[in-house]
Amino acid sequence: MAGLELLSDQGYRVDGRRAGELRKIQARMGVFAQADGSAYIEQGNTKALAVVYGPHEIRGSRARALPDRALVNCQYSSATFSTGERKRRPHGDRKSCEMGLQLRQTFEAAILTQLHPRSQIDIYVQVLQADGGTYAACVNAATLAVLDAGIPMRDFVCACSAGFVDGTALADLSHVEEAAGGPQLALALLPASGQIALLEMDARLHEDHLERVLEAAAQAARDVHTLLDRVVRQHRAELRGGHRLVLGAGFPAADPAHLHVGERHGLHHGGGAVCGRRPCPGFCPGLRRPPQEVGGSASGLA
Amino acid sequence: MLQKREKVLLLRTFQGRTLRIVREHYLRPCVPCHSPLCPQPAACSHDGKLLSSDVTHYVIPDWKVVQDYLEILEFPELKGIIFMQTACQAVQHQRGRRQYNKLRNLLKDARHDCILFANEFQQCCYLPRERGESMEKWQTRSIYNAAVWYYHHCQDRMPIVMVTEDEEAIQQYGSETEGVFVITFKGILNVNKHRAQIEAFVRLQGASSKDSDLVSDILIHGMKARNRSIHGDVVVVELLPKNEWKGRTVALCENDCDDKASGESPSEPMPTGRVVGILQKNWRDYVVTFPSKEEVQSQGKNAQKILVTPWDYRIPKIRISTQQAETLQDFRVVVRIDSWESTSVYPNGHFVRVLGRIGDLEGEIATILVENSISVIPFSEAQMCEMPVNTPESPWKVSPEEEQKRKDLRKSHLVFSIDPKGCEDVDDTLSVRTLNNGNLELGVHIADVTHFVAPNSYIDIEARTRATTYYLADRRYDMLPSVLSADLCSLLGGVDRYAVSIMWELDKASYEIKKVWYGRTIIRSAYKLFYEAAQELLDGNLSVVDDIPEFKDLDEKSRQAKLEELVWAIGKLTDIARHVRAKRDGCGALELEGVEVCVQLDDKKNIHDLIPKQPLEVHETVAECMILANHWVAKKIWESFPHQALLRQHPPPHQEFFSELRECAKAKGFFIDTRSNKTLADSLDNANDPHDPIVNRLLRSMATQAMSNALYFSTGSCAEEEFHHYGLALDKYTHFTSPIRRYSDIVVHRLLMAAISKDKKMEIKGNLFSNKDLEELCRHINNRNQAAQHSQKQSTELFQCMYFKDKDPATEERCISDGVIYSIRTNGVLLFIPRFGIKGAAYLKNKDGLVISCGPDSCSEWKPGSLQRFQNKITSTTTDGESVTFHLFDHVTVRISIQASRCHSDTIRLEIISNKPYKIPNTELIHQSSPLLKSELVKEVTKSVEEAQLAQEVKVNIIQEEYQEYRQTKGRSLYTLLEEIRDLALLDVSNNYGI
Repeated sequence: MAGLELLSDQGYRVDGRRAGELRKIQARMGVFAQADGSAYIEQGNTKALAVVYGPHEIRGSRARALPDRALVNCQYSSATFSTGERKRRPHGDRKSCEMGLQLRQTFEAAILTQLHPRSQIDIYVQVLQADGGTYAACVNAATLAVLDAGIPMRDFVCACSAGFVDGTALADLSHVEEAAGGPQLALALLPASGQIALLEMDARLHEDHLERVLEAAAQAARDVHTLLDRVVRQHRAELRGGHRLVLGAGFPAADPAHLHVGERHGLHHGGGAVCGRRPCPGFCPGLRRPPQEVGGSASGLA
Repeated sequence: MLQKREKVLLLRTFQGRTLRIVREHYLRPCVPCHSPLCPQPAACSHDGKLLSSDVTHYVIPDWKVVQDYLEILEFPELKGIIFMQTACQAVQHQRGRRQYNKLRNLLKDARHDCILFANEFQQCCYLPRERGESMEKWQTRSIYNAAVWYYHHCQDRMPIVMVTEDEEAIQQYGSETEGVFVITFKGILNVNKHRAQIEAFVRLQGASSKDSDLVSDILIHGMKARNRSIHGDVVVVELLPKNEWKGRTVALCENDCDDKASGESPSEPMPTGRVVGILQKNWRDYVVTFPSKEEVQSQGKNAQKILVTPWDYRIPKIRISTQQAETLQDFRVVVRIDSWESTSVYPNGHFVRVLGRIGDLEGEIATILVENSISVIPFSEAQMCEMPVNTPESPWKVSPEEEQKRKDLRKSHLVFSIDPKGCEDVDDTLSVRTLNNGNLELGVHIADVTHFVAPNSYIDIEARTRATTYYLADRRYDMLPSVLSADLCSLLGGVDRYAVSIMWELDKASYEIKKVWYGRTIIRSAYKLFYEAAQELLDGNLSVVDDIPEFKDLDEKSRQAKLEELVWAIGKLTDIARHVRAKRDGCGALELEGVEVCVQLDDKKNIHDLIPKQPLEVHETVAECMILANHWVAKKIWESFPHQALLRQHPPPHQEFFSELRECAKAKGFFIDTRSNKTLADSLDNANDPHDPIVNRLLRSMATQAMSNALYFSTGSCAEEEFHHYGLALDKYTHFTSPIRRYSDIVVHRLLMAAISKDKKMEIKGNLFSNKDLEELCRHINNRNQAAQHSQKQSTELFQCMYFKDKDPATEERCISDGVIYSIRTNGVLLFIPRFGIKGAAYLKNKDGLVISCGPDSCSEWKPGSLQRFQNKITSTTTDGESVTFHLFDHVTVRISIQASRCHSDTIRLEIISNKPYKIPNTELIHQSSPLLKSELVKEVTKSVEEAQLAQEVKVNIIQEEYQEYRQTKGRSLYTLLEEIRDLALLDVSNNYGI
């Protein structure tokens, strides 16, 4: 059997996508009730679950507490059934550690950690099915989970991978494309500012091509942002609808200003910070602010 | 928007485990169709090349076609080809990178009018593979579905032709959608032996489903149109327009003269075509001859490359490079073809090995073997190790376990065999007895070869490869080692042997079959009779008893009793056979004779063994019992294994092939009704000229020629109506009775054994052939049988030629003989010479354009004149007004001579020297045919032996030795006699000189 042709002469990839097209993304927030924030994402066949606890007091050794900001603790694991061949991956193997570290770097850059000094934020990510682009899926899931937890962030963190085949940059590599062994680049982007939270590539790629691959990954990350943003809005709409019913029992749905619950999903594009659902008195000054109407700015996206 | 689907693949890892892999598969609504007829060019967003708009239809090749015939699709003349993505992927995965790259380049090439349609990414075209559906079926289904979508996408404005090899697909989809045609088109090239330079025919294999007006063969005229295909290749042909059709030549001509396209009227035009591609090459080893010295020089100094001439006329000359041309000049040599460049007139080949000198008997026999692809190396040690031992020191014995398993007939049954004299491989014996209830029991006992030959053992594989025993004129090549064929499997008299038996219980009066029993037995044949003796016993002539060795040591009384028993058995057997035969005839059966006689009377056979095959009734009795056994076994195995039984069919002949026979008969005033086998047999019986028995013989042999060959087949691949055996008029027939010399019988034996154990609800031992494997095996056996027939015929012809070679046709009286005209051509007649059983052509117009004329003394001369051909006569008129007419079935006198040929086999030439029947002084001799030849020859030999003062005994001993060596079963061969004559001639000369 001849090797797979990753990009056909007609511009199709193995699974029928064109070079810049993403895999199908489906996501849901708030899948776990007992956690502070949770989200589930599917990028193609890569499936990841992220759960966020915090901010809370430092657990374990108090010495780890940072005086000026919160400690972001990330743990990555993947299910034994996540790959084609079942493999037992003990907790804390090299790959998981590395992935945890990368996630930590990414989210330290995105979360406004200085708002919560001497406290800890836990992000747990589990990959249920791995079909390429696990890092990106983890970041995207964790973003949604952090949002769900109501922890203020500078912006969404949107991640996507990109590869380079036959002079063309391919966005969002699947497992088949990754396994072929070409250069692969992982990028986590703060889309609004265009700042890069993390860029990682451990293969050789000529400098001349880097620009193109980077641009492909960035474009893909922006596309991911559009989708995630839509998910968040939809989730908020659901919650509002749901709470109206609840609130209808006691409170008049009058001024949203003093409705903490209704405030959960305020998005603050202008302020550069995003507020989560939790009323965190003393921690989250953003909540005290009057909510801004988001419909206008988001309509272009929806 | 993209639609996500999932594909589940099962892959096998390197460790051998299966791995379930899920892959995503995205479908989109718009895939570029690259057609100028596209209704929404914006949505399809074409970039790159478009199909040209001036084609009449689009061609969509099936995946298999793309895989196998990409070279053909590469022709720039082919336009409007749509490669489906499914087909391209099949090439990529199954044919490797090289061919896939060829396909990619083809698609990129702007000059080439072909495109790729990504049908698997189109949401309407994509079909998921169903559970249990084979990859091949799914691919064909996908491609067809995409073709239909494409047709509708172009708003039904362009017809689409899907080309496939899959017969099922043609049947399934062929007429499903209007405008989408599913076709295939191919045939086998047959080169006409006599006009190798010009004519070749292609027999269609599967005609296309939508135009089936072509039923006859297609004529390929000339070497150029044949386009480098060689006899036997599977080719694709293109039909030429009707105004270029040609007719076939009916004039006689010789091979060596360069067919100066005889301007005489060819027959009516027939479909003519030219070869456009070779699907499957059928190259084998060819026997060739190097050109003689003079010819080499005329070819120029470029002696590195030499054109050699194949023995087979149908094969073009082959160019080989060798420096041994001069040393190899007088030898027959095997070469192999390597390639044939499109710019070359001749193919290139290389030298393989030397067979022997030209004209040398061993060399010529080897030539015949190679030309028929028969390989007869001695049995190997590993094969012989599997054989049981039977030597005087450790004689083979019946083992006690087998004794328990088998039915013991040694005491209860009188078993005997009837065979030709001196036969060593006795594979069938008979028995008949009266049961206690008064009914009769008829038994046919066949040697149990499968007991010794285990399935897939070395010896089994070897036997399968050989498939049959090859009988040449002077020798034979056995299928099984002689320890089996001549000893342990041969049902000789007075020894215990294993057998497979069929026993019928017959009603005592009506001979109705009441019960039948199949099974393994142990028998001891009491008598090994030969046909003549059995016939004598049947006729009541008991004097032959002295010839039967079994009776020798008996005293008078027991001898009498035993003899009576035997005579009763033979008589009863004959009676039963007559009855069975009559029943078969009554069912509307063609007389067995109709077929068998022709085979026996066939010219080859007559010469082959000079002992006359006088039709005795005993022959018929034995044959009838064997047919009965074969028939019942066929029924049994078909019932037990309806889809994987090996049977033998004889398809009914095409009526048009009988036209020549009908016309010939009409010339003599007979009417031949060929509508059914019954009517044919009856009218052949009636067509008997009391003055000329040869007419009937000729008509019968013509009828045989019109019929197709009987073939083995697997029941799973044929409809039940097609099982019929035309010649024997039986609904089911197989070969069961000669496992020693036919592999098909071995297969049938195994099937029968499996059927018996199936009846007993026992486990079937060993696995039987599946339908597909059996089909393959049948094809192989049929092919080998044909090779055996050809080699037998060719070796006989070789001996005929050697017989006449040393004779001077002008003086030798033996070379002049009586001939009968049986067919008329524009420039000659075809003759049959009853005395030697030779068929051949005689010209009425020679190369200088002179025609034959017969003076008042009826001696012929060559004079200028012209020929005129009528339906059943030909008239030769000379310029001075004399004319002579030859009618069908006229007797003429011919002179036989040999036309020597360096590169090919020698041929017999016939020349009409008088238009009157041949008369020699002792007239009674000519009326008897071939039987005389032997006695004549023998007499002559003995006479010359005496003259040469040679000790007779020595010669006899030599014959005996040769007899031993070749295990001849049919007595002295013509060859030994010929050798004697030749040796004598040599000795004669040396005597004269020496003394």
